This record gives sequence, C-alpha cells and structure tokens, in this order.
Amino acid sequence: MSILPQLIINSIIAGATYTLITLGFNLAYGTTKFLNAVHGSLAAVAGYIVFFLGRSFGLSIVPSAALGIFGASVLGVVIWRLVFRPLRHRGASPAVLFLSSLGVFTMIQAVLAILFTSQFQQLGNVGSPRYEFFGAVITKPQVIIILAGIFIFATLFILLNKTMFGKAVKAIADDEEVARIIGIQTDSVTTLVFAISSGIAGLAGILIGIDIGIQPTMGLWVFLEGAISAIVGGIGNIYGGVLGSFLLGFAENFGIWKISGAWKPAIAFGILIVFLTLRPKGIVRN
Amino acid sequence: MNIIEAKNLTKHFDGVLAIDRLSFSVANGTITGIIGPNGSGKTTLTNILSGMIPKDNGMIIIDGVALERLKSYDARRYGIARTFQNVRVFEQMSVLDNLLVVVTERNVWGALFERHGEYHRARVLEVLERIGLRDKQTALARTLSYGQRKLLEIGRALLTDARVYLFDEPFAGLFPEMAKLIVTIIHELKADGKTVILIEHNMELIRELCDTVIVMDSGRLLAEGAPKNVLKKREVLEAYLGE
Ligand SMILES: Nc1ncnc2c1ncn2[C@@H]1O[C@H](COP(=O)(O)OP(=O)(O)O)[C@@H](O)[C@H]1O
Ligand SMILES: [Mg+2]
Repeated sequence: MSILPQLIINSIIAGATYTLITLGFNLAYGTTKFLNAVHGSLAAVAGYIVFFLGRSFGLSIVPSAALGIFGASVLGVVIWRLVFRPLRHRGASPAVLFLSSLGVFTMIQAVLAILFTSQFQQLGNVGSPRYEFFGAVITKPQVIIILAGIFIFATLFILLNKTMFGKAVKAIADDEEVARIIGIQTDSVTTLVFAISSGIAGLAGILIGIDIGIQPTMGLWVFLEGAISAIVGGIGNIYGGVLGSFLLGFAENFGIWKISGAWKPAIAFGILIVFLTLRPKGIVRN
Repeated sequence: MNIIEAKNLTKHFDGVLAIDRLSFSVANGTITGIIGPNGSGKTTLTNILSGMIPKDNGMIIIDGVALERLKSYDARRYGIARTFQNVRVFEQMSVLDNLLVVVTERNVWGALFERHGEYHRARVLEVLERIGLRDKQTALARTLSYGQRKLLEIGRALLTDARVYLFDEPFAGLFPEMAKLIVTIIHELKADGKTVILIEHNMELIRELCDTVIVMDSGRLLAEGAPKNVLKKREVLEAYLGE
C-alpha cells in the first residue's frame, strides 16, 4: 500500500494546525507589528488549564476547553496591557518588544514546569476513534483540527471584511497614528484583537494537546511554527499565513518521507532561510 | 471668538528649534493661511495642534479650554481634523472603506457585530461626490493617483465633522481641476461656519481664500494680518526670496 495518501493527510493536518496558530499570530502582528513569543505560551497555558480542570475536577473536555480558551484570552490581554502596551507607549522598537516577549515566555514556561512538572501529558481520552480513507488514517481530534482551522478562518474573514470592527483593525494595521486622529478607539480595538488572537492560540494549544500532547516547552515550537508560517506567507497577512502554514505542513511531512522525523525543525528553518533570502516579504507581499 | 490660541509655543528637535515662542490666534469660522519658507515649522505646528507630537513649552487654548497636553486621540474629541503634507491614506483599504472607517461606531463591542448602515453609506457617498471619487469607490487607495489620494484624505477629514480643519499643503502637486475641487470644499467649510487653517505656498490662493495669514520664519511669527497687508511687507518678501 502506498504511503502517499497518509503523507498528504498528515500534511493537511499539520497545515491546519499551523493555520490555527498563524491566524491569531498574524492578526496580532498586523495590528501591533512585533513578533510575540507569548503567543506560543498561551497555547501551552490553555492546554494546561484543560489538563488541570480534567485532573482536579473531572471536568469534561468541552467545558474545560471553553475555559482554557477564555483563560488564554484573558492572560493574553493582561500581558498586553501590563507589558507590551506600556513599552509601546514609551516608543519601544519591535526588537525590544520581541525580546520582552521572550522574557514573559520564559517566565510562563517556568511557572508551568513548576506547577505541572516537565512531563509530557495527553489531553482527553487517547483511545479516540480513527477513520480511514484511501488507505490513510485520521483520528477524530485531527478531524476537529481541520474543521477548527476552517471555522476560525471563516470567522476571521467575516470579522475583518464584513464588520466595522474589521475596518478599524485594518486602518490600525495600516497607520495607527492616523487611525487615532480620525477617532478610532485604537486602544480598545487593539485590546480586543489580543483577546481574539490569544483565544485562538489557546484553542490551537488545546487541540494540539488532544492530538499530540502537552509539555511546558511546547510554546517554543508553537511560536516558531506560527512565526515561520507567517513570515513565509507574508507576515501580518492572514491569507498569506494560511498558504505559509500549508506550505510548511507539506514540506515537513514530505521532507521526512525518507529520513527521520527529527529533521522536521531543520526543514522548517530551511524554508524560512530560503524565503528570507529569496522572497523576504513572503508569498503574499504587502 | 477664537477657536485656537497659541501662546509662547516652543518645540525643538535635538538641536533644531522648530517652533520658537510662537503666539497667534485663529478666529472661529475663518480661513487662516500659514506661509513661510521650507523648514520654518509649519508642519511641526500642525503636528502639535493635532496632538501628534507634544510641545515643549507654551500654551494651547482650544475654544477657551487651555490644554496642558494634547494627545492624538484628543483630535477628534476637540473637533480637529487634518491632512498630511506627505499624504497618509489607508493604503491597503478601498476608497469606500477609507471613508467608512471614519464613521465607524465608537463602541468597540458594538462594532464587532455591526455593519455599516444606510445612514453611514449615505454620508460617505455624499463626501465621495464632493471629492470627485464616486466612481473609484472600490479601488484600493494605493492604486489612486497622488491627487486622488490627497482628495481622499480631505474626504476623510470632512467625515470627522470637525470644527477646525488643518490642511498641510493640500494643493501642492495637483492638477488645476483637483485644486478647484479643494477650493470649493474650503469655501463650503467656511460657509458652514467651520475654521480652516491652510498651509500653502501659492500666494494667489492665499489671497483668494484667506481672511488672515500668518507668516512663519525659523519657527517664529514674522507677520500676521489680512493677506493684502501682510503679503506686501518687505520682511515677508525677503523671507521667501532668501530661501
Ligand atoms: N520629527 C522631526 N525630527 C527632527 N527634526 C524635525 C522633525 N520634524 C521637523 N523637524 C525639523 O523642524 C524644522 C521645521 O520643519 P517643518 O515643521 O517640517 O517645516 P515646514 O513644514 O515649515 O517646511 C526643520 O528644521 C525640520 O528639519
Ligand atoms: Mg511642511
């Protein structure tokens, strides 16, 4: 039996996972213009909220996932208001903001390790149903990842293109200072952007936790895959991010066809370097 | 009644004194021209009056209220609209959206679910008509010509429904047809009882449009008064010729 269908399915699953990470990442990047490593931490935090609620209170996956997403969203907003926003008001450059996000990232990772140990944990019941078609296997969590990717993409598309909020977000992304002068409440809009993007990061973390598992260090991987997909796609552009995600998903999974899976990160960085050299503005140039 | 008063306004950038103890007033409902050689501080003044940069010293009084610190989000609250010498429209948005975003509901939660209603669209269409961009609605702003972008920027200012309009060299680089549109808009604003502050190098336009003209040189006030009096002063001519 050919391995091709399975490779394709795996690539699509990876693409959908990266899409989930990148959508929130690009939404926030587009409005605030800095690489925020905390985006990865929030995925881990949401995963651990679900883990904690399940272990300590026996809460089932759906309500605990809702609380995990909410928790990530609130934490994302709190960090924005306590750390990044004050720094930006004082004129911090994107590089300074990125470094400070790494600081917060490290703190969160340490706290998670202290509270929950560094052990690998699986969310939800492992013996989940599997479906088979064309000789390829896909699990129920993986189907949910793909559906969630489609759902979040569609929701963001409507939010950005059909609502007044979306127009305000685009205006801020384009020229924040002018947006403020014409009376857009840039502060509230940006806060809401962080609430939404952090919530999406939380959802991604929970789904990854159910599919693969969680670890305090997962935030780094989530951040890097999200950032690479975003940069490859054209950073700040949510459509480009989707293309970048699937390019990365396919490249990684087909790349390890004949070699060890340990090479995945190398493939991701290889693609990043190729793009930074040959097409630094990404697939969809702004 | 003065809508804007500045007293001893000072602003410096590193070594450069861009605004130097500048005092002037602008009467409500008038058109005030600001002229002066390049680098004399006209744009810096506009930036301060619209809250984009802080002043070092001095006082700004808007409609009788003395403001210690004017911030950029105060501009709309105090009814101040502006355009930029180097046009700043929302490049990635359509012409229509550039304008609709101005009439976006202020409440963010509401905006999350709300779309633009007929009322908003009607207001925007009326402005599109005035700036002559009605058939460009769906074009992305970045595809417009320089002049069209300047008009779009003016349209955006009109929609804020401000009391004071700061236009920083709106005519520079425009074809006569477009310049005429802007002249009409400025006349209409005055007829509406609005105040216009116009930075401009073309003395014909200053004479035609302005009630008062302020002449700046090296950040200082060189002269102030009716154009027909000010424009014939020797020091004004010298400031320009010495450029
Ligand atoms: N952001 C800034 N940083 C440093 N210097 C500035 C800045 N803005 C203006 N200047 C300086 O202030 C002076 C006044 O400039 P400006 O207000 O643009 O003059 P004008 O609009 O009359 O041509 C110039 O010497 C200019 O170089
Ligand atoms: Mg200027």
